[in-house]
Amino acid sequence: MTVTSLEASAAAQAAPERVRRHRLVDRLYHWAMAACVLTLMATAFLPIVGIKFEWLTIHWTTGLVLTALVFFHIVRATIWQHLARMMIDLADIGNGWRGFMRLFGSGAAPGKQGKYNAAQKLYHAAAAVLVLALVASGLLMLLKIDTPWWRRNPYLLADDTWGLVYVLHDFAAMALVTLVMIHIYFAVRPDEWWASRAMFRGWITRREYDAHIDRGRWQADDA
Amino acid sequence: MDGVELFRYSKSIYGGSDALIGASWDLLPWFVGAGVAFIVVHAIAMAIFGRRHA
Repeated sequence: MTVTSLEASAAAQAAPERVRRHRLVDRLYHWAMAACVLTLMATAFLPIVGIKFEWLTIHWTTGLVLTALVFFHIVRATIWQHLARMMIDLADIGNGWRGFMRLFGSGAAPGKQGKYNAAQKLYHAAAAVLVLALVASGLLMLLKIDTPWWRRNPYLLADDTWGLVYVLHDFAAMALVTLVMIHIYFAVRPDEWWASRAMFRGWITRREYDAHIDRGRWQADDA
Repeated sequence: MDGVELFRYSKSIYGGSDALIGASWDLLPWFVGAGVAFIVVHAIAMAIFGRRHA
């Protein structure tokens, strides 16, 4: 055994078995957002499919909580997290292309991912667009109902403009249903379970890290 | 055959043009269907091609 291999072996033994992937605050954010989105969907769509209940107060108060969560996430991601890790880069595009071609039986295997793979980044971008559209249109729609803080003012915008605000809110909400279905599907897939599990317990194993992650794109010790 | 409506309108009580009030909820099954279609196609593709590369 060479000195180099001895050093590598010693480094592997010294490396912690757990690799932190999501801090507690980020996991709490994720699950709080999930609870808000599911509550908003239930209060929006159950009455439409015939399950009638007093949905409006639950809907707008949950919407305000979601707005606060989104604001918190934007500030935290911008200042304290690595925004670049969620941006699609050339390596993602190359991996995506190789993965696609491999479906047809040709080409090399895709390379390892950074902290997130291209599909996760694409999903995040789509969800961000829809949720921001929902939050912006939802805050405007709040001006049409009485709350403890203000009286309704439906004359702030012209009728046609209000119609466009509602169209944006409605389409974004229905598209989010599609995205949530896809998100849950990937979360429960056995081949993605190593990543999904980290959203519960915060860490992945060293073996999972070595199997899936490109160390050059995500250093384990700077999670 | 009537197509799927994209928008909801309210009848003007003054007899003017109908006012746009939102997207048609008839579209909701289509968005759910798109999610189901994606999941089914992906699951089948992974079952077939994943086995080939295993």
